[in-house]
Order: sequence, then C-alpha cells, then structure tokens
Amino acid sequence: MEAFDYKKQILEPIKSLPKAPKEEMYLPGHRTCAGCGPALNYRLVAKAAGRDTIFIGPTGCMYVANASYLCTPYAVSWIHSQITNGGAVGSGIEAAYKILARKKKYDGPFPNIIVMAGDGGSVDIGLQAMSAMMYRNHDVLFICYDNESYANTGIQTSPMTPYGANTTFTPPGKMIPEGKTLFPKDPPQLVIGGHPAVKYVATTNVAYPLDLMNKVRKALNVPGPTFLHMLCPCPKGWKFDEKLTLEMGRLAVQTGMWTLYEWEDGEYKYTRIPKKYKPVSEYMKYQGRFHHLKEEHIAKMQAFVDQKIEKIKAIAVEAPVPTPKAGA
Amino acid sequence: MAQEKLLSGCAAAAIGAKLAEVEVVCSYPIRPYTAIMMELSKMVANGELDAEFIHGEGEHAQVSVVLGASAAGARAFTGSSGVGVTYAMEVYSPMAGGRYPVQMSIADRTLDPPGDFGSEHTDCMSARDQGWLMSWACSPQEVLDNTLINYRVGEDARIMLPQFVCQDGYFISHIPDKVVVPELAQVKEFLPPYAAPHPLSLTCPTSHGPQIRPDQGAPMDAQRAITFLSVPQVIEEATADYNRIFGRNYDPFLEKFMIEDAEIAFFIQGAHANTCRNAVRNLRNQGIKAGMVRLRWVRPWPTIQIAETFGNSNVKAIASVETSTSYGGAMRGGNLIHELRASLYDLPNRPLTTSVMGGLGGEVILLEDFYWMASKLTQAVKDGKTKQNVYWVGFEE
Amino acid sequence: MSIKVPEDRAVPFGAITPAPVLQQDLFVTSNWRIVRPVIDHEKCTRCHTCYIACPDSCWAFNEKEDQMEWNWKFCKGCQICIYECPADALEAVPELDFEDGVYRLEKPF
Repeated sequence: MEAFDYKKQILEPIKSLPKAPKEEMYLPGHRTCAGCGPALNYRLVAKAAGRDTIFIGPTGCMYVANASYLCTPYAVSWIHSQITNGGAVGSGIEAAYKILARKKKYDGPFPNIIVMAGDGGSVDIGLQAMSAMMYRNHDVLFICYDNESYANTGIQTSPMTPYGANTTFTPPGKMIPEGKTLFPKDPPQLVIGGHPAVKYVATTNVAYPLDLMNKVRKALNVPGPTFLHMLCPCPKGWKFDEKLTLEMGRLAVQTGMWTLYEWEDGEYKYTRIPKKYKPVSEYMKYQGRFHHLKEEHIAKMQAFVDQKIEKIKAIAVEAPVPTPKAGA
Repeated sequence: MAQEKLLSGCAAAAIGAKLAEVEVVCSYPIRPYTAIMMELSKMVANGELDAEFIHGEGEHAQVSVVLGASAAGARAFTGSSGVGVTYAMEVYSPMAGGRYPVQMSIADRTLDPPGDFGSEHTDCMSARDQGWLMSWACSPQEVLDNTLINYRVGEDARIMLPQFVCQDGYFISHIPDKVVVPELAQVKEFLPPYAAPHPLSLTCPTSHGPQIRPDQGAPMDAQRAITFLSVPQVIEEATADYNRIFGRNYDPFLEKFMIEDAEIAFFIQGAHANTCRNAVRNLRNQGIKAGMVRLRWVRPWPTIQIAETFGNSNVKAIASVETSTSYGGAMRGGNLIHELRASLYDLPNRPLTTSVMGGLGGEVILLEDFYWMASKLTQAVKDGKTKQNVYWVGFEE
Repeated sequence: MSIKVPEDRAVPFGAITPAPVLQQDLFVTSNWRIVRPVIDHEKCTRCHTCYIACPDSCWAFNEKEDQMEWNWKFCKGCQICIYECPADALEAVPELDFEDGVYRLEKPF
C-alpha cells in the first residue's frame, strides 16, 4: 500500500522566550490552585503545540480544576476521557482523522493529538491504555504530567509518589514512620524498555520552559507515538509555598531527584547535569510532605538518588537546547 | 442485485458493518462474537472495506477507542460478549451522555463465574440503564438488518445515541441461515453518512464533557430522557423505510405470532423465539390457542405497543421467557417480567403474568418445555391466578 | 408524555461547549488573591520570565507601549512572578491597598 500523505505538521524550534508564540491556547480562567505546576505545564504545552491541536483530558486535576463548571480554558478542541482510557480515546481520534483524510472527508493538517494524563492516568490506572497506544504506532503524543500523587481527590499516593511522602493514603504513624515505604515507577523507562514503535521519549520540568516547549515540538514532529514525562511541582500536594513552584523544579534537577534527558531511537542525551549534586535534603526541606522524616529515611532517599545518578552514562558536553527535527 | 447467502450471525453482522461503510473498527477477542471481527479484518486486509482496524487491548479499550473516533466524526463499530461487555461498562454512560452514536455488536454469553460459552442475555441486559439503544435479533438476517437500522436510528440528528445490537451466542452467531444481503446502493438510500453535530475539529474548537455542578446534573439527565421519548417514532420511520427498500416485513417493536385470538401467550426475545414459534403452531394443532410476542427492542422499551397488543387481545395469561437473571429482583427470576408487568399495569383487564427461566447457560429450550409452560398458563387461566411468580425449566414438574 | 427543563437550567447538548476565545470569563479568579504583583518598569529588563512563569497567563508584553502588562481579572496572587523576576522589578503589595482591590462577584459560584 503506497504511503498516504496525512499532512502531518512540522513545528519549528523556539529560539528564545520572547520569540515563543504569543498566542495562548490554555487561557486564563480556571480553578487550579494558585501557583499550580500542572497548569503552567499545560499552558506551555498548549503554547508549543499551537492551534491545530486536539487535547484528550483524562480525569484528574487537569480535568476537574480546569473544566469547572461546564466551561474550559482550552482554546483548541478538547475531550474528557476516563482516567482509565486516555491512550485509547487518543488512539480513536487519531484513527478517525486517518480514515477521514483517506476518504477525502477531511483535508486539513493532521491534528497534533495530545493525551494530557496525570501520573495515575499514565502509569497506574491508565497504564494499560498508555502502553497499548505506544505499541500500536498511533501518531499521538502521550504526556504524563507528574505531580507525584492523585492530587485532585485530595492528595493520595500514586506510583509516582516519592518514598517517604506523606499523603492521605500513606500517613506517617507509629507503625509506618516514613509514611510511604515504596519507591516510584520510572515511566520513561517503562516506555523505552518495551515499545518498538516509539522513537522519542523525554523528561521535562516547568522550571526550564524553553527546553520544555522545544521537547513538546520535537515529540510532535517525530512520527508515531511519543512520550513526555513532565515534572509539575504541586504546592498543595507537596506542601510548599506556592511562589516556589519553579524553584522546586530547579532543586529537583540540582539534587538528582529529577533528571532531564531525551531518548531518541536508542540514544540518550542529558541536559543540565549538575557538576556537583546538592543533597536531597535541600529539596525536601521546603516540602511539608517530607517534614516527618528522620535522618535514616532521608539517607534512604539519598541512596536511591545516588543509585539513579550512577546509571546516567557519562556525558562530555551539555546538549544544546533541543532543536525539533524539520521533516520526518 | 441483492444476493442470498448462507451466513452465521457473526458473518451477517460483519457484512452489515461493511455495508454501513464503518470507518473505525476496534477488535478484541472473546467467544462467541470474535468471528465478527475476524470477518471484518479480512475485509480490511483485502481492500473490501477501507477502515482503520484497531487491535484494542481489552473491551474497555475497544469502547474507549470508538468513543474517540466517533467524537472526531467517524462512524465507529465494535463488539463483545459476556464479561467483556461488563468489563467495558465504565465507558457506556460517557458514550451515551456524550451522544456518540457508535454501534456495539453483541453475541451474548453467560457471565462468569465460571466460564460458560453458552448464551444468556444478562451480559447486555445489565447495561440497560446506561442510556444506549438495545435490541435483539432472532436470526442472522435480522442481525444484518438490525445493524443497518440501528445506525440509521442512532445517528439520526434527533437521537444521536449509541446502540447495542444483540444476538444469542452460538444459536444465532454460529449457526448459518439464509440471509438476503442487500446491495450497497440500497444501503446508501437507507443510511445517510454520519454527521457529528460538534466533532473535535481544528476550525471550530469545542470542549467535550467539562465538569458540572450538581444542579447541572438533572438537566443533563433530563436531556437524555427527553431524547428517548423521540426514539420510538424514529424507529417506526426507519423500520418502514427498511421494509420498503429491502422488502422485509418487520413490525417495528414486536413480532406478533398467532396472537389475534390467542388465550395464552409467550413473551420472549432472541433465538429461542424460533423454537417458540414451532411450539405455538403445534399447540394450535392440539386445540390450544397459544400465541407469541417477540420483543425486538429492550431500550426503548415498547410500553405502549405491548399494552395495546395485549389489551386488544384475548390473552389471559402470559409466560415471560427469561434467558437472563436478576437475582433478588422483584419477581426473583429474570428481568423482562418486571417491565412487561409495568407495561400492562394500566389495562382494565390485566392478563396474568409469570416468568419462566429458560435457556440459561446456553441450554436449548425444547418444544416440550414450551408445552410444559403452556400447561402452567392454561392452569393459571382456570384458577384465575398464577401458582408461582417464577418457574425454572427442567427443574420442576 | 413530556419532560421540560426550565430555561434557566438549560445545559448544552451532550455537555459539549464552544471553546473559549482569549479568556474564560465563566471562571474569574481575581478574588482569590490577597497580594498583587506591582511592576517597576524602570527595573524591568523585558526578559519575559514573568510572562512565561505564570500558570494563569497574567503577564503579556505590550509591544506598542514596550512594557509588561498585568491581568487583574485572573491573577490569583501566587507570587511566582515576583519570586522569579531576575531584575527584582516586581513587588507583592496587599490587595486591599488598591481601590479596585478585592474583586466582588455579582453572584457567588
């Protein structure tokens, strides 16, 4: 069967903040907390993706807090999905556009289709649908916006909640002094490890907006399914002063709690690797969710991070701001 | 030229979907509906049907994929059986409330526990409150016809609702029977293309399904209830059109067999109606004035039509033949009986009704079983009341 | 039989609403803040950090006036912009200090 031209969009790299598109696709007027990390993340993703975009919004903070009541802040088309099926609904939309284009019922640009799922909707209850979409080669970007809990239901533990975090399902107590005893999953590795159709996976952080927007554009440009793991500090869930949202993002990178990297068809590229990592306590001291921890727990967290850092292959040079590939 | 072929219910459903030119299909294997998807995948592979054939990762995913496809403006098709139908249930209300008119072709199967490949209707019946259209076929021909009629009704601009098109597993899905397969040109006359009122588009952006406040809930529900008031009329129009174009003779809601002067009647849906018809003929030869009313639509339930049919008849006792379960239900048996009784409630001379559990697990209901039911009904007419609310075929004298 | 929904309680078909343009006026959030960011245009270097860091898009660069403009209708007073400004051009001032402070809604949510 000859290849059909679905008119996939190619987005140019953003060279600097003043040169970022002025248009907002995620508009003011939503019920997210003051200083909400995921909201800022959504705004940057939507800005980078542009007008020819369709968002799928599985249930979570970025559904309930954005879409109350009977109104949304999305200037582009958006559909609610269950927390279980973001990947599946996205797959269906992509398939529909493909057949409508082939049957000449649609001749516009192929939409940027983006699933904006939380950590639960990506690697817990939504894992099956996410993995299946990655496997089936749909031309969709799957985003895991990670605020490290089921935040919308009042901060319960998710597989992305860090060890030692106090959530309403992992409260510290006499029997369980650290609160959360389990260590989190690693979503990019889950995707990279077993989905042959995926050619681009990256991590991002709201503290580095230009890097974030360019990774979104690159992920949209690369054909087939792509995955972004996006750190979104949550003032309410992590219990820090809301003006420190970006500061928490920076500290996450500086302590090794978060690593910024791209994986492109087998090759890793790291950015902003600290010459000398700050101790994790520098990060944890601002966040009320860790204030119950004792020395031994913080040491356990440090050991976990040290192990993660070991795994990062040697890099000679910092990669420049990622330049989205023009052309497939 | 319309062609006559020997087709199983599964093949008939697949051909119906092909004639409807479905655009997105999502598959997942489960007995006994799987053959519908196997047939469709062959049609896509050899170019007979240009559609996106998506291998869903499960039944919940199947329904989710077709929801997305329908929201984007494509005609979508999926299907399942048994526990697959119940697994997908989270997505049924979002589909109906979002007004995405996808079709789900169901070949019934008994629910677990434990595994049982035989047909019971409980799989789909347990979803009847989710807001979809729901109908049962009793032959492969009717499966094909219902496939087309349901797309026409479901996609009608006044309706916009998803549809369950059901057939008994094995009895209908796997046993071939004569099917007149219409021509595409005839189908095009009957079924216009799907026109989503507000598809997910780039040029006219919309938000589908924002969160609401509690006080906005009742109006949302009322909107769906109001739509269901219009469905019967659309079914009547569509069935009349279908009969005219394809040369069939369907009553829109009920197949009435020898009911005109009947004194006892069987109220039944699905495959076992075929045995029931023969039983009624044989009973008539014995001098017993039996008749049958076969239910074609469960949602919308044809309340008025049932009341009129029995109200204008001499039927004094009805056996509601139940191939589904409703544990702890009002009659402690199946579930057709509840809505049958509700339909007859306002009649000045209500016939007696009793429910009979038959065909459960996928067992055959024998002619002898229908004669046995008839004897219970005849006795009830003599006594002026039924002895039991519920009978279990094969378990009692 | 018929069912009628009162007109003042009508809801859109299938819960499908049109996408907003420029801002979502059905969810004004100015009454959330207790401080507002006040800008010193002399100190401002037009680096666009405040613009990019606001989750509510409350800073925009007015090219004609050549200065950053603040959206009083939606600012929640989170102070991210104040904290992030590298030129120290933003200051948190109590909302009650302003005549148009504490935006009052015409009716509650």
